[in-house]
Amino acid sequence: MPRQLLSAYPPASARYDEMLDRGRAPREHWHSMFEQLAAAPPELMRERLQSVQRQVSENGITYNVYADAQGADRPWDLDVLPLILPHEEWRTIERAVIQRATLLNKILLDVYGSQTLLQQGLLPPALVHGHAGFLRPAHGAPAQGGTMLHMYAADLARSPDGQWWVVADRTQAPSGAGYALENRLIISRVFPDLFRDLKVQHLASFFAALRDSLAHWAPHGDEAPLVVLLTPGPYNETYFEHAYLARYLGFPLVEGHDLTVRNGCVWLKTLSGLQRVHAILRRLDDDFCDPLELPGDSTLGVAGLADAARRGNVLLANALGSNLLESGALLGFLPDLSRKLLGEELQTPSVATWWCGQPDALEEVIERLDKLVIKPAFPQIRMEAVFGDDLNDETRDALTARMRAKPQNFVAQELVQLSLAPVWDRQHPRRLLARAIGMRVFACATPDGYVVMPGGLTRVATGPNERVISMQRGGASKDTWVLAAGPVNTFSLLRRSTSAQDLVRSGANLSSRVVENLYWFGRYSERCDNTARLLRLALERMIDAVPSAEDGGWLSITGLLRRAEILDDEDDLDDVALVRALRAAIVDEDRQGLAGNLRQLFRVASQLRERLSLDNWRTVNKLVQDSAERKNQGLALSDALSQIDRTVVALMTLSGFALDGMTRDQGWRFLSIGRRIERMQFQCAALQQALEMPASGDAGPELDWLLALADSTITYRSRYMARPEWMPVLDLLVRDDSNPRSIAFQLKGLHDYLVRLGSALGPCGAHLLAASLDALAGLDVERDLDPRSARLAALLQGLQSASFQLSEQLGLRFFSHSVLRQTYAA
Amino acid sequence: MRPEAAARGVAAGDALYSIVHETHYVYESRVAVSQQLLHLTPRVLPWQRRLSHRIAIDPLPGEKTEHLDYFGNAVCNVLLDSPHESLTVRAESEVGVGWRSGGEVPAGSPAWELVRDRVGAAGEPALLEAAEFLFESPHIRFSAGLADYVAASFPAGRPYLEAVLDLNRRIHSDFAFDNSATSVATPISKVLELRRGVCQDFTHLMTACLRMLGLPARYVSGYILTTPPPGQVKLIGADASHAWVSVYCPQAGWVDFDPTNNLVVDDKHIVLAWGRDFGDVAPMRGVILGGGDQKLEVHVTVTHAAAPGLAQTQAMTAP
Repeated sequence: MPRQLLSAYPPASARYDEMLDRGRAPREHWHSMFEQLAAAPPELMRERLQSVQRQVSENGITYNVYADAQGADRPWDLDVLPLILPHEEWRTIERAVIQRATLLNKILLDVYGSQTLLQQGLLPPALVHGHAGFLRPAHGAPAQGGTMLHMYAADLARSPDGQWWVVADRTQAPSGAGYALENRLIISRVFPDLFRDLKVQHLASFFAALRDSLAHWAPHGDEAPLVVLLTPGPYNETYFEHAYLARYLGFPLVEGHDLTVRNGCVWLKTLSGLQRVHAILRRLDDDFCDPLELPGDSTLGVAGLADAARRGNVLLANALGSNLLESGALLGFLPDLSRKLLGEELQTPSVATWWCGQPDALEEVIERLDKLVIKPAFPQIRMEAVFGDDLNDETRDALTARMRAKPQNFVAQELVQLSLAPVWDRQHPRRLLARAIGMRVFACATPDGYVVMPGGLTRVATGPNERVISMQRGGASKDTWVLAAGPVNTFSLLRRSTSAQDLVRSGANLSSRVVENLYWFGRYSERCDNTARLLRLALERMIDAVPSAEDGGWLSITGLLRRAEILDDEDDLDDVALVRALRAAIVDEDRQGLAGNLRQLFRVASQLRERLSLDNWRTVNKLVQDSAERKNQGLALSDALSQIDRTVVALMTLSGFALDGMTRDQGWRFLSIGRRIERMQFQCAALQQALEMPASGDAGPELDWLLALADSTITYRSRYMARPEWMPVLDLLVRDDSNPRSIAFQLKGLHDYLVRLGSALGPCGAHLLAASLDALAGLDVERDLDPRSARLAALLQGLQSASFQLSEQLGLRFFSHSVLRQTYAA
Repeated sequence: MRPEAAARGVAAGDALYSIVHETHYVYESRVAVSQQLLHLTPRVLPWQRRLSHRIAIDPLPGEKTEHLDYFGNAVCNVLLDSPHESLTVRAESEVGVGWRSGGEVPAGSPAWELVRDRVGAAGEPALLEAAEFLFESPHIRFSAGLADYVAASFPAGRPYLEAVLDLNRRIHSDFAFDNSATSVATPISKVLELRRGVCQDFTHLMTACLRMLGLPARYVSGYILTTPPPGQVKLIGADASHAWVSVYCPQAGWVDFDPTNNLVVDDKHIVLAWGRDFGDVAPMRGVILGGGDQKLEVHVTVTHAAAPGLAQTQAMTAP
């Protein structure tokens, strides 16, 4: 079958093929994979592809593309086939990456320290003083363990002769290691036998080395080291990875406003006060780290962070200012610097690069422009790479003029003909396509020197002849399999042994932002549930019979729909308009209703990713995906009903996680408070609506809807086996504290949470509920379980306003809403 | 001349100044936390002595530390962590300034291209400090318009400092002082187009012109006398903190030019701090939490002090 497999594969080309040798036979380390692909029945491959897609989608792996019509979250594109590299070849790459990281770290230490390289003329001033990434406030900061470059990534490409080259260095806050890890989890499950038989090296020990080294170097004194992962937030392109790594490494995920600097130390704002932070693994760019001292005019960062770093009170990984090394202009100086600083030749060369800031280089580049690619010399310069090949006379002249005007801003690089690797054709049952690839390899600093992740993020271009690979431009990715020579190190982060002193109770590091998000997660999940039940009730009525204006139950339901702003006040009950409004409430995110509430739930959940279990997250993710799919469907009423049923079940699952899957810490209490407040407001509204019904005739009150809405129909029937009557219904929905939807249940539970919270954090507003608790206890069964009872009406009214006040007080007390601003005075 | 001054370490002939620099913020709503970096401490230099200096802050800050920044300027780092609705920072300094240039550029400077090539080659450790001030920075952006403007002062082979002096003079005559035309955020290209601005704009403009040619120039922040002695003209920019340009000459070292007043700086300018541009040495740069709209008032009063500690007797000369 190999012939069919290769039917769309290009014939021998000038490019290096990762899988096939010059004779078009699979290379030795690809044999097993190739045989398995050739032998696998189409159904099996289809299953494998689906499994990859499903896991990407279920795990919510995304990469945010700034200018994408699909909105913020685009699914991660992962090819089913890994890139396979033999042991010996990897050893070469590994040694070269270690050498390069060591060299780059020494350069950083010098520039931010004694600057002897400048004094000796080994680095031109333009590459330091002319680099906007040279952060003067970072100069002189102590480097714990002699390390500024903790995480390093090299972008490698392979030329036709099989040699790997370094195309670019990532030294500021390299991304991709988390995606590589996630790719591994998925692909190793798709080929479990091959993965084991080929002895693919595991990735976990790399992350353990990173975690342990940061903890080791963090200036933590006698305290247990607290390491946090600093993210710019959910709108960043790689936010998924930040949350994923934070969870995997066990670091709290924090945003700038979760941290504060006092007395030159960094602190995490937690529910129980400030908690000292000893190390920060940052994914925030240099410039944005400190709005007080650094150039970025954004307030994503932490005011005073540069000062804390200078005083040696916090370890930053990477150290502030490491963006300095991300300059194509530096590449040409590395061979000499390597000889000088390491006494070694550079093992893996950089792609030939000319910095136009050197007059000779400028002329040479202009001469050979059509064979080169022109790039900005410094990362701060916004410019797309230009291929000399693509230029016409006019554009060439324009570019040449720009280069002559500011030559120091440009570098020219030789084009590497990227190597090709097979990807599985998703449009065909059994066929491989060839795609250009590049590989990002990661290193982290440890007290014993740099270690390299045995694997990496292989990036796949969109076509076979692409010259650049860009995730922003729709590229895909691959798992990278490095074969082991001996036994595989099966160490896993999940099996780290913990000693008694590591035991931690209660979420001491719960940041205020997380608490706020947990509270709103509780509220929105409950709000979705309420909205779904209300819509279901309305749809059921419409399908069963044409509702009449005299029907007391129907009047109440439409009244609640109006309260929820799903129906406008002016709407008359024209059937067509009604159906349209209900459908809009189900599918339209921009209107009040289920879709909008689900979107809000998803937004809050996204910010809690590192705290939600994978199962929990999948449930949220599925809810939103289903909701998005509904938008594109015609949706008949009966379909809508069954879909809402599914939504309700999924929401029940979510509340099950909250009940059964979460630790009872303060964060959980906030989540539960959110749920109870929301439910109380909804039940009060439903009851108030019911009490407003016109007095019933001989047939008795219409209360089935009220029981259905409160999910209490079955309980009622099992107790009374009769038509609903006011007294027993109100008893069940107001006074019965064993009914999880009753007013009493919400009120007592809420009071209990607030008292517990108060005992740890000081008064939290439990007093706001005192009057309502008294009123509830004071209800007289004979007199007040009646629609005309003024005391009942007053209780409901009082509860509505108390819950609003409570929500506001919690917000003021525990959640911070203030915004940082920069100010200048001359 | 003033024997009592000499007793406190002031050289005979030094001009003595008493400076009060007061910055006052009023916020619309309460500020919960405020962090401020103050570049309000005059530098100590071979020709400049700091006789007394204090910074008073109201409300009292929770933290106050000091350090030297990358350029050697003294920075005061302040944190106010109790809620406040206004903030006053009052810096009081007494400074003695000695004779620098006599208001003339040193004679016999080489052709400007020689300076450019020597500094650009970066072979001499002595010139490394100058090489820090050759490039664009956040407030200094090169443009074709600037290149056109500066060309007239730098014909081939012209002696370096003579050319700089000419540029200094041209900026003074081509641009009008107008403190309503520009703000901190106005780019140089706009200033060039408007032909008006304040001392900060002219300093940025001249600095950019020089660096574009490959000549080292830095931004100096400081003060000049508020009210001149009887019979002398009041200098422009005296009621707020002032700014001017310092250029490096391999023979003469750093020589300061004030394009706002068409002067070569002598003993009438008091140096606070220097850097690549305003952003490095803004007298107050802060980050606040809360606050809403804010009103800012800055008052600077610089008076001749007869002798250290006697500034108050001269108060009648202040406006």
